[in-house]
Amino acid sequence: MTRQGIRGFVLIALLAAMLVPGDTLAQAKPKVAFVYTGPIGDAGWTFQHDIARRHLEQALGAETTYIESMPETADAVRVMEQLIQKGYKILFMTSFGYQKLSLEVAKKHPDVFIVGTGPGIGLAPNVKTMYGRIWEPRYLTGLIAGKMTKSNTVGFVAAHPTPGVLPGINAFALGVWAANPQAKVKVVWTRTWYDPPKEKAAAKALIDAGADVIAQHQDSPAPVQAAAEAGKYAIGNNSNMAPFGPKAFLTGPVYDWRPLDEANVKAILAGQFKSEDYYGGLSDGLLSLAPLHEAIPDSVKKMVEQARQDIISGKLQVFKGPIKDQEGTLRVPAGEVMSLKDITSTRWLVHGIDGPSPTAQ
Amino acid sequence: MADATLAIERPAPRPRIPEWVEAILVRLAGIVAALLVCAVLLLLQGYHPLLAYADMAVGAFGSRFAIEQTLLKAIPLMLTTLGVTLTFTAGLWNIGAEGQLTIGALAAAWLALNHPSLPALVLLPGMVLLGLLGGALWALVPAVPRAYVGMNEVISTLLLNYVALLVVDYLVFGSWADPTAFNFPYSPAFSDTARLPMLFGDVHLGLVFALAATVVVAAALGHTPWGYEIRTSGASPGAARYAGMPVTRNILVAMAASGALSGLAGMAEVSGMIFRVQQGLSPGYGYSAIIIAWLAKLNPWAAVPVAILFAGLLNGGFALQTSKVPAAITYMIQAAILFLVVAGESLLARVRRARAAAAQKAALGGAR
Amino acid sequence: MADARPPALVELRGIVKVFPGALANAGIDLAIYPGEVLALLGENGAGKTTLMNILSGLYRPDEGEIRVVGERVVLRSPRDAIERGIGMVHQHFRLVERFTVAENVLLGSHTPRFRLSPGQVLEHVRALGARHEIALDPRAYVGDLSVGERQRVEILKVLYRGSRVLIFDEPTAVLAPPEVDSLFAGIRRIVGEGRAVVFISHKLDEVLRIATRIVVLRHGRVAGAMPRAEATPGKLATLMVGREIPSRPRVAAARGSLRLRVEDVAARGERGYLAVDGASLTVHSGEIVGVAGVAGNGQAELAETIAGIRAPLRGRVWLDEHDVTTRPAREIRERGLAFIPEDRHRQGLVPAFNVVENAILTCYARAPISRGGLLRRRPARTHARRLVEAFQIQASLETPVRALSGGNQQRLLVAREAAQEPKVLVALHPTAGLDVASTEAVHRILLELRARGVAVLLVSEHLDEVLALSDRVLVMYRGRIVHERPASHADVDEIGLYMTGVGEPP
Repeated sequence: MTRQGIRGFVLIALLAAMLVPGDTLAQAKPKVAFVYTGPIGDAGWTFQHDIARRHLEQALGAETTYIESMPETADAVRVMEQLIQKGYKILFMTSFGYQKLSLEVAKKHPDVFIVGTGPGIGLAPNVKTMYGRIWEPRYLTGLIAGKMTKSNTVGFVAAHPTPGVLPGINAFALGVWAANPQAKVKVVWTRTWYDPPKEKAAAKALIDAGADVIAQHQDSPAPVQAAAEAGKYAIGNNSNMAPFGPKAFLTGPVYDWRPLDEANVKAILAGQFKSEDYYGGLSDGLLSLAPLHEAIPDSVKKMVEQARQDIISGKLQVFKGPIKDQEGTLRVPAGEVMSLKDITSTRWLVHGIDGPSPTAQ
Repeated sequence: MADATLAIERPAPRPRIPEWVEAILVRLAGIVAALLVCAVLLLLQGYHPLLAYADMAVGAFGSRFAIEQTLLKAIPLMLTTLGVTLTFTAGLWNIGAEGQLTIGALAAAWLALNHPSLPALVLLPGMVLLGLLGGALWALVPAVPRAYVGMNEVISTLLLNYVALLVVDYLVFGSWADPTAFNFPYSPAFSDTARLPMLFGDVHLGLVFALAATVVVAAALGHTPWGYEIRTSGASPGAARYAGMPVTRNILVAMAASGALSGLAGMAEVSGMIFRVQQGLSPGYGYSAIIIAWLAKLNPWAAVPVAILFAGLLNGGFALQTSKVPAAITYMIQAAILFLVVAGESLLARVRRARAAAAQKAALGGAR
Repeated sequence: MADARPPALVELRGIVKVFPGALANAGIDLAIYPGEVLALLGENGAGKTTLMNILSGLYRPDEGEIRVVGERVVLRSPRDAIERGIGMVHQHFRLVERFTVAENVLLGSHTPRFRLSPGQVLEHVRALGARHEIALDPRAYVGDLSVGERQRVEILKVLYRGSRVLIFDEPTAVLAPPEVDSLFAGIRRIVGEGRAVVFISHKLDEVLRIATRIVVLRHGRVAGAMPRAEATPGKLATLMVGREIPSRPRVAAARGSLRLRVEDVAARGERGYLAVDGASLTVHSGEIVGVAGVAGNGQAELAETIAGIRAPLRGRVWLDEHDVTTRPAREIRERGLAFIPEDRHRQGLVPAFNVVENAILTCYARAPISRGGLLRRRPARTHARRLVEAFQIQASLETPVRALSGGNQQRLLVAREAAQEPKVLVALHPTAGLDVASTEAVHRILLELRARGVAVLLVSEHLDEVLALSDRVLVMYRGRIVHERPASHADVDEIGLYMTGVGEPP
């Protein structure tokens, strides 16, 4: 391009951006934007979402963009507005904290569709949320941890005591005890979502306390690395973290947003957007386990597979009473099963878990 | 002898262009240099630099919405900048605007959350007052040991920022948590009466606070004996002591006033834009304020345009990301612009010093 | 005689060094010969330290040349000087407290081309110490050493680097008497090896004890040079402070009522030592009382205590029958005290401010400049313009004071204080570093104030100035007033002795 050509181009680009309203842009190629709270990185929550974004490009020929490390503050509103101005009419907001901001933006732009992250705290005709029943695969990893521990001590590196995290820890512990009633479950809070040094230190502390399987609800693979360095086993989170410690990585819950995201975009294009709080899990493939470590005996593999099918069929309920919390209060009476709403607003840990209670934070 | 004396007294030759023109030119040169450097960076990464810059400009000032958003972001920047300008002028290195903003926001939010049904005419002034007070008290925590035992305020104010963040954590995870937000770190939303009225579009009354504060700070520094004392203390603590100025009292007052301004920024943020308490109340406004204050050469009037440009730089960065430029590169561009503008500034100071020394030497040399 | 001398180790020829506002060295010739202790004597500001900083590579002269063993050299840095065999033992030690003696000695020297093992280093330093009879444990941490021992580390450092000319900058200022003796013994051994020592001091008695040759500097020039054998305290004191006393038409002192009374005041200096130790004096209306003395004998601290800027440990200060001891500085000012401080850059003026803002530094709080809670521009400018015109200050009102020449700065400062209509003026080294014209201007102002009945306390290290202006002359030495004479009966030689501590009664 000649110099003059460039100059002209820039001028036109500037004018176009200022003058041309976004909605005159062609609808043929769907323009989809993703907003992430963290960097994409090599693994974890955001990484999995970005896999789905790239899938949309391939499967639907969508034009996509993304914003990394976007704080869940008013700046996110700005970015959403900027994206809308650029013609992005489908926004995937990949963190819970964007929900209230999304509702504001959705109200102003009824022609824009926003797919947020649950648990839902409010809907609009052009807003839906998606959420994973993370406790289902966590229960399965608990079974494996219970079988694989030799010291009868399992550690869990936990992020924040939020309802996104707490049911997962509870399900994990219930799984451990279903497989090994003698095992201890120790929890350490890092109060970070992504802080590798801190999360590594937390994992090391658990190992020092005798844990030989380290599970986690963090977005970094640091706990896996810590376990690998100490020659212990690890259970990952969000994505397949095997590359960070192939010898240590037993398995871990893995999100696969591709089918859901694709279905959402297709529905929007077809004019069949459904405003709802969607919960996915093992049954629809949103959640699964990463390939199991070869050291896991076949009997355990079989047991886990059975439990998976029972959860999908509804035969196995993870949160089935009686369940007491750490203080001994009966939270789920015998014979009863926790409702989805109760699970997603859990603010307690199951009796027997060794670690600070969430309310003590 | 008489001739020699005259030679000594000859004033230094005036620079060819006025100092303020020079100052603006140097800053512009810094920005241009940064854009050139980053253009190389963008090209290496496979982006078209001119398109990227156009994106930034459009995102910052290219539409009514963009201008509103930039002004909105400039409000807390202006207020915190005025705050740190006060203390920097007094020679106090208050790095704690971030924490003072946070505590001001919490103090205002306390009223909003506990008395949501008060009429706006009572609630909003009350929140303003509490915001000012909260910021002032938080600033006095490091100011008192600084004034009486000379404790280094750089460290104490900085550390208190982290304490303020932990206070937010404590509240939003604990007693202020929104019961409907699944224990996510949020307070419930403010009632409508606790929200600042909008001036136009999304721009709330905080803009008036910021502009009024600019007038007040400029007047206080430039046209009151107190301001003269503050400027003297900053420019020469020895001279302030020599002139019998109440140094200790001025430290306390300057810090409290500075904290109050940042506290007001926090109040405006929660009451004008966020409408609740949550983590990340401020994406580092209190730190940006330090840079803005320097770029504005501690001039309250200059702080207004510089804060707006800075807000544009931040918002333009988001716009750049919407063109698929990774966040890291955006931050690099922003940092490079600031770095080179500041570098140009230091260079100019050196050139001026050298020029003055040379002029004086020439004058003395002539005398010998 | 001259032919018998070995060639000079170092020669300085026509050294000129100009600083903004001051001519520090105005053409100095100096030769340093092996085996001698050359004492460089002079008042503060005479140019000794500047000259030695040039010789040790810290500054570069504006004119003149340096020859080392006959060869012309350019010393760009202290390292250059060290490589030429010139080393400085600094007055303020440059040692790392957390390092051992041996580590400090090696620090920054690049003589060992190969890496020395810790054992070798220790042996090296031990041997060096033994050779020069400097008793030091090379393994000791410098932080644990006494001041005298630290000085020995500095000396070892310089010797280790093979210096042939060692410059001692006021080495006894920090030492106790027995340490001085051992230092002198060390210096004698060093010159015994064919090295030379330059000994910078303003203490006459010490110079007479250790020097083999004495050069006196005054106002940036060599005022005189002589071998030790020809030197007497009187001769040196005269050379140092100057003999020519400018005559002025003396109006008989219309001495009036007692304005300022200082009784038995003691105060600490910046670094916590007892700077003023029982000073007493009086100043009456219409007289100038001059305080002579070498700078650093507590004059500044005494003046600051009187002005209320420094808190006294004991003693009383009366201003016009009011006990103003420990009163705030501003109240003392309101009672009629004006003060010209020693350091116009850090105290008396605000260099970054313009002339107007500096003109109101000590009257900004009063009407008409402050009124109704506002600082009024117009009266401030009027005030500043009056000062500039009345005292012939060459500056526009908007010029930052840092851009003014030293003379104009000081005129502005003195004018401002004189314009306060004070009852008492305390002037601390008011002409230090000024050119002749500005010095004259300041003198005129002081005499005018005296004529108007102001009580003036003039502190100066220039004895000629004190004698020319004062009605009474005091001498301050080690925090005390050790001598007092009416100016008409003052004896330069006698005062010189008191100033340098020789005349102090045992």
